[in-house]
Amino acid sequence: MAIHTDMGSQLVNLCSALLLLTCFAIIAQRRLSACVDLFALQSVFLAVTAALVAFLTGAYHIYIAAGLTVVIKAIVLPRILKAVIERLNVKRELELNINIPSSLLVCGALVILAFYITQPIISLGFLLTQDSLAIALAIVLIGFFIMIARKKAVTQVIGFLVIENGLFLGATAAAYGMPLIVELGVFFDILVAGLIIGVYTHRLQDTFDSVDTSKLTGLKE
Amino acid sequence: MGPVSVMIESALITVVQMVVALTASPFIVGLIRKVKARLQCRQGPGWLQPYYDLAKLFRKDVVASTHTSWIFTATPYILFASTLTAVLLVPIFLSKVPLNFAGDAITVVYLLALGTFFLMLAGLDAGSAFGGMGSSREAIVASLTEPAMILSIFAVGLTAGSTNLSTIVHKTALLQGIVTDPPPHLMALAALFIVTLAETGRVPVDNPATHLELTMIHEAMILEYSGRYLALIEWASALKLLLFLTLMSNIFAPWGIATEREPVWMILGVGVWLIKICGLAVLIGVIESMFAKLRLFRVTDFLGLAFILSLLAIIFFYILRG
Repeated sequence: MAIHTDMGSQLVNLCSALLLLTCFAIIAQRRLSACVDLFALQSVFLAVTAALVAFLTGAYHIYIAAGLTVVIKAIVLPRILKAVIERLNVKRELELNINIPSSLLVCGALVILAFYITQPIISLGFLLTQDSLAIALAIVLIGFFIMIARKKAVTQVIGFLVIENGLFLGATAAAYGMPLIVELGVFFDILVAGLIIGVYTHRLQDTFDSVDTSKLTGLKE
Repeated sequence: MGPVSVMIESALITVVQMVVALTASPFIVGLIRKVKARLQCRQGPGWLQPYYDLAKLFRKDVVASTHTSWIFTATPYILFASTLTAVLLVPIFLSKVPLNFAGDAITVVYLLALGTFFLMLAGLDAGSAFGGMGSSREAIVASLTEPAMILSIFAVGLTAGSTNLSTIVHKTALLQGIVTDPPPHLMALAALFIVTLAETGRVPVDNPATHLELTMIHEAMILEYSGRYLALIEWASALKLLLFLTLMSNIFAPWGIATEREPVWMILGVGVWLIKICGLAVLIGVIESMFAKLRLFRVTDFLGLAFILSLLAIIFFYILRG
């Protein structure tokens, strides 16, 4: 069985690394619709990771979470976001607070930070998901950074969803998944949050003729 | 077997490796063109077209500007020789190449850099505006890809405990120790893939099929060349492409390569290697058809991504495996 778990842990680590790669691709990407596609791809990788963990540990309720991830995060939410982008006509280049090479450097530093923080506790965790915890924390930090660094409301939503992906990966890695009822609640929250933010973005567009959230800090009249 | 016959065998293997690389490289270039043509619903030129092109160019006379110096004449030979030497240091079908004592990954990277350096000089040498522009652009790209390439090979070298390409490939092929380590290797592979696209002048960075002054990088440098010089340069860039594809397939997935000098395994090794690099070539062809070329000032973003990924691969190893 040693080889079996070894192969399994390598596969799980590979999928987690793919999640981190897509994070960096989202940061380096300037086109909004491509960001949404990359987020959908990341969710697919997340679902694969979760399904692998479910298969290798026999914790079958994770399969349900993986299925919900595909349906909600890889199909429904990207559609909603695409519809918002379509209506707002903002698919051209993104506006950034920080340019791309510097964002990449900042994210590199964040990943190093995440690795340092998790390094002492990794040996206490499961062998199967040894790297996933470090990667999950890195993804959460990068998600925060996307929310801070991007001006458009839609990219901030993507940052929020990336954080959620990181948290889900972290839960799968650290505890082999949360209880099903909690996961169902989280998915429902995400869906509602996506819808609310979509509506809010429309309101922003109607009021300011732009989805640039930095305009919210200025006083009108 | 005595030491003499071992030496003869080593020499023979080296010659075979050279012949295989020289014959396969125009095919890969042709394959990428064919894939692109088919994706554009065209028939495309025949499989042997790159070979015909080379043969035609070797028969033609060289026309050189009277303002050029010896650099212009020497560059094609230096470029071709340095690239071919680099190819001989990379395991293609046998995991321990006979010449592995002669140099490691760092030698390979800087042999390629030597060729690029002379090509940049030659671009400036003829004194045409396009050549200078191409050289300055190539300098930007080369200076950004080089650290990423070195770091991504180091990331794999760290797990194998050596910078020698033969040792890396041999250990990974035999799975000695825990040589495969997916997260850092995946980051290094992604970085090396971006480097490959940039170094071989492929689409998001450069367009090999255009002679439009605003966009060309590699083509601008070699604009003044003709005849057998051009043939040598074209062949050298095909070899370089082959070298990068081989690096990617054999460092990260060497399985199928011959780990000992048995003729049967080596023939099998050639077959497996051809399948792997053809797969990568098809992937590059698809990418070329799917994506538009980046603006020159966006190229730094793209190459910065490669640098960060390769750096993270190394740091990942040090923090989480150290």
